[in-house]
Amino acid sequence: MRLDPRYAWMRQLAAFLALLAVWEAAGRADMLNPLYAPSPSRVGAALIDLFSDGRIWPHLEATFSAALGGLALGLAVGILLGVVAALVPFIAELLEPVMTLLNAIPRVILAPLFVIWLGIGLASKVALSFILVAVLIFFTVFTGIRQVDRRLVERVITLGGDRWALVRHVYLPSVASWVLGNLKIAVGFAFTGACVGEFVAATQGLGYLLSFAQSTYNAALMFALILLILVVVLVIFGIAGRLEKHVLRWN
Amino acid sequence: MGDGSFVSLVGPSGSGKSSLLRAVIGLQQPLSGTVETNLARSQVGILFQDDALLPWKTARDNVALGLTFNGMERRKALAEADAWLERLDLAGFGDRFPRRLSGGQRKRVALAQVLAMKPSLILMDEPFASLDAIVRARIVKDVVALVEREKISVLLVTHDLEEALSLSDEVYLLSQGPRARITEHYPVPIPRPRDPVHSRMHPAFAPLYERLWADLSREVDHRAEAA
Repeated sequence: MRLDPRYAWMRQLAAFLALLAVWEAAGRADMLNPLYAPSPSRVGAALIDLFSDGRIWPHLEATFSAALGGLALGLAVGILLGVVAALVPFIAELLEPVMTLLNAIPRVILAPLFVIWLGIGLASKVALSFILVAVLIFFTVFTGIRQVDRRLVERVITLGGDRWALVRHVYLPSVASWVLGNLKIAVGFAFTGACVGEFVAATQGLGYLLSFAQSTYNAALMFALILLILVVVLVIFGIAGRLEKHVLRWN
Repeated sequence: MGDGSFVSLVGPSGSGKSSLLRAVIGLQQPLSGTVETNLARSQVGILFQDDALLPWKTARDNVALGLTFNGMERRKALAEADAWLERLDLAGFGDRFPRRLSGGQRKRVALAQVLAMKPSLILMDEPFASLDAIVRARIVKDVVALVEREKISVLLVTHDLEEALSLSDEVYLLSQGPRARITEHYPVPIPRPRDPVHSRMHPAFAPLYERLWADLSREVDHRAEAA
C-alpha cells in the first residue's frame, strides 16, 4: 500500500487517538494504577481544574517572564559577545575557553548556584534561562561571522561599499539568518532554564507546580502540566517559525 | 586601458591571472611593484566566476547596491536598476531573490550590477566558466554588444583560447608561474562589431588559434620539465 504523504497527519492523529482510547479503556477497567498512569480523562479533568479556578495564571506568568526574560537577555548578550569576539582577537582568546567549557557542561547544574546567589525569586530562573541561551547564541554568531562568505565581502568592496556598508549589507543579514536559524532551539533552552530553575527552588511557576505534583504524588496534575508546557512551547515555536520564514524568505 | 579595447589574458593555471585582476581592483597587494591606472576606482568594475549576489537582496536591490554606495538616491538607483535589468532581458525578474533565478539569470544580474556603475573598464575573471554552452553563448553575445556600444574596455582572464580570440582585440600570454610574465602578444584583426560565434569563422582565427595553442602548450611543458 502506498501512503499519501499529504495525509500523514491524519494517520498520526488517528493513531494517537487510538492510543488514548486504549489508555482510557485500560484505566476504566482498573488495569492501570492511577497513581502512576492516570487515564486521559483524569488528566483532562486536572487540566480543566487548573484553569477553572484561575490559579494557573500566576504560574504561567512566572514561567513566561523567566523564559522570555532569559531569552531576550541571552540573545542580546550572546550576539554582543559573539560579534565582539569575532572582531577582536584578544577578546576571542579570553572568551572562547570559558564558552567552550560552559558549552561542554550541562548548564542546568548551575541552577542551585543561582538560587544561592539570586534567591528563589524570578532572578535565579532568568539567570538559568539566560546562561543556556547566551552560550548557544554566542557560538552561533561567533562561528557565523568568521565564516561569512568572502566573495560577498569582496563584491561589496568592489562595488564601492565602505565598512558600514559591509556591516549593514553582509554581516548583519548573515548574523540575523544564523540567529533565526537557531531561534527555536533558543526558545526550547529558555523554557528548559525557566522550568528547571523553578523545579529547584521557587514559590510559583510551572516548574514549581511540577515539583509540587511530584511531592504530593499527583500524576494526573503532572501529566496536565507536561501537556500545558508542551502547548506553550509549540505556540512559541509557531511564532518563531513564522518570524524565521518571513525574515529568511530569500532562502 | 580605457579606450574601449577588449584585451584577454591567457596562461597556464598558477600563472597569476586572477591575482593580477585582484591587484588591479585593489583586493590584493602586489608582492612587489605597483599597479598604475589612469582610472578612478569607481570606473573599474569586476565580474567574478561566481555571481556573488547578496542572497538576501532581490535582483533589483542587488543591481542598485553599487549605485547607492556611490551616493545615488535610493529611488533613483532602483529605477536605474530596473532599466539595466530590462536591457539584459530580465524585465519582470527584479523582485526575485537570487536563489529563485537560474545560473544564467544570476550572471545577467551580476552583469547589470557592474554595468549600472557605468565603468570605463570591466575586469572579468572567467565569468562564463560555470554556464552551460547555449546560455553562455547568448550572454557572451550580449556582453560583446553592450561593451562595444558603451565603449567599455575589458580585461578578460580565461583559459578558453577560443573565447579569448573570438572576443578580444588583443590577447596576451602569461608564462608559467611562479614569476610569471607576459611572453607573447597577439593582435586579433577581426573587425567590429563582432558576433562571437561568427568571428570564429574569420580566416584570421584558425592560424592565430594554432599559434596560441602551440605557445601555451610550450609553457605547460616547461612546467612538466621543471617538475
